[in-house]
Amino acid sequence: MRHLRLIGSFVGIAIENALAYRVNFWISLLHSLLSFGTGVLAIVVLFSQVEAIHGWTLTSTLALLGTYLTLAALRRLFIGPSLEALAGLDGEIWTGTFDFTLLRPVDVQFLASIRHWQPLVILDLLMSGGVLVFAVVQLGRTLTLGSLATFLLTLFVAVIILYALLLGFAGLVFWSPGFLFTWLFNAFFQMARYPVGLYPGWLRLVLTWIIPVGIMTTVPAQALVGGLSGAMLVGSVAFAAALFVAATVLFRTGLRRYASASS
Amino acid sequence: MNLRGAWALIKRTWLSWLQERSFFFLLAFGWMISPLIYLFVWSTAAGAGTVVGMTRGEFVAYYLILILVNQLTYATSNWTVGDMIRYGYLSGQLLRPLSPFFDTLASEIAGRVVFMTFVIPVTTILAFVLRPELQITLGNGLAFVPALAMAWALRFIWGYALALLAFWATRADALVALQDAFIFLLAGQVAPTVLLPGALQSASVVLPFRYMLGFPVEVLMGSLGQAEVVRGFVLQACWLALALIAFLTIWRAGMKRYSAVGG
Repeated sequence: MRHLRLIGSFVGIAIENALAYRVNFWISLLHSLLSFGTGVLAIVVLFSQVEAIHGWTLTSTLALLGTYLTLAALRRLFIGPSLEALAGLDGEIWTGTFDFTLLRPVDVQFLASIRHWQPLVILDLLMSGGVLVFAVVQLGRTLTLGSLATFLLTLFVAVIILYALLLGFAGLVFWSPGFLFTWLFNAFFQMARYPVGLYPGWLRLVLTWIIPVGIMTTVPAQALVGGLSGAMLVGSVAFAAALFVAATVLFRTGLRRYASASS
Repeated sequence: MNLRGAWALIKRTWLSWLQERSFFFLLAFGWMISPLIYLFVWSTAAGAGTVVGMTRGEFVAYYLILILVNQLTYATSNWTVGDMIRYGYLSGQLLRPLSPFFDTLASEIAGRVVFMTFVIPVTTILAFVLRPELQITLGNGLAFVPALAMAWALRFIWGYALALLAFWATRADALVALQDAFIFLLAGQVAPTVLLPGALQSASVVLPFRYMLGFPVEVLMGSLGQAEVVRGFVLQACWLALALIAFLTIWRAGMKRYSAVGG
C-alpha cells in the first residue's frame, strides 16, 4: 500500500513537471511520430519487395512492431529513466549521489526502479496501440477473450523480462562505474523490432537465450497472430521469473560493492 | 588564419577523445546496430535467390560499406553545437583568436579518428564471417572518393546549419532528429534506394539525404549507370553549395543575435 502511494506521488510530480514545459509536448509528439512513422515505413518498404520471410507477412510483422513500440514506450515511461538516473551518463553511482538514495527508508531496488516517470510517453502508447489494432483488423482474426488475455499475459511477461534485463545491465555498473551498460543494452534492444525468425541462425540463438530480447516481442506477437504453443507460453513465464530473480540477486550483490564517490 | 592554433586544437581534441575511447566505442557500436539489422533482414529475404537483382552477398557488401560510410559522415557536432549555444559555452570559444568553427571541425575530425579505430576492425571481422560479394573496378573506386568527401561535407554543413538555428529557437535539436529520420528512410539505410517503392524512390533522388550517405555506397558498388552517377554528382554539388550558403547566412545572422546567459 505504501509502495503504491509512493508510485502515485512520483507520477504526480512527473505530471506537474511535464505540464510546466509546453513546447516539450510538441517536441515529444514529433519524436513519437518519427519513431512510429519510420518503424511502419521500414516494414512497408521491406514487404513491398518480398511477400513473406520465414512465414512472417506484412501484417504479422506489423503486429510485432506494435508489440515492440508498446514495450519501448513502457520502458521509457518509467523503467528507462529511473535506471538511467542510476547507472546512465552522470548517473548517481557515477557521481556518488546514490548515497542519498540509500539513506531513504524504502527498499533501494524498488525506489531506484520507479522514481522517474515520463508522462508524455502516453503519446507513444496510443500510437503503438493503434498499430496493434490495425494489424489485428488486417489479419481478420476474431479476437476471443482468451487470446486477448494471453496477449496481455505475454506482454506483462515481456515487461518483466525487459525490466530484469535492464536491472541486470544497470547493476553491472557497480563492478565498472563509468561504463554505460544501459547504452549497451539499448543497442541489443533495437534488434527486437523484427521477428527473431528474420535473423540468421546463430543470431537467433543469441537473441533467444543469451540476450533474450527476441522473446520479448516474438512471443506476444505470436499470441496475437496465432502460432504460440502452450509450452512456449509456460516456458516464457518460467523464464521471466528466473530472470527476475537472477537480476535481483545480481543487483543486490552489486549494491554491497558500492563505496560511494567523492570529489 | 591561425593555422597553427587550429592544428593544435584539432590534435588535442582527437587525443583527448582517444583517452575516453570506451565511451565513443559504445556510441559507434550503437550506430552500427541499425544498419546491421537491415543487413540481416535483407540478406535473409534474399536467401539463396535475389531481391530486385541483389543477392545475399551483395546486400552484405552494401551494408558493410554503408556502416563505414555512415560513421565517416555522421556528424556528432550536429547535436553538440546547439548545446554550446543554449548553455552559453560559445562565449568562451568566441574569445579565442580562432573561429568557433574550428572547435566544431576539431571534434568532427576527432570523431572520425576514434570511430574508425573501432569500426574498421569490427567490419573486417564481420566481412570474414558474413562473406560479402563485391567487385570494385578502378573507375568506381576513384569516383567513390569525391562522392564520400562531398557526402561528409554535405552532412556536416547541413547539420551544422540546422544546429545553429538554436540561436533563435531553444529546441532546434528537434530538426536534427527530423533530419536523422529522413536519412534513415531516404538515404539507403532502411533499404538500398533502388528498392524503395515509387514515391519514396523519387523523393530520395531529389532530396539531399541520399547524397549524405547512400550515394557513395552505390557508386562504389557499381550499381548505378553512368548517367545516374553524373546526375548524382551534379545534385550532390548543388545541395552542398546550397548548404554552404545557408550555413554562412545563418552563422552571420546568428552571431549578431547571440547573447549568452550569465551566471
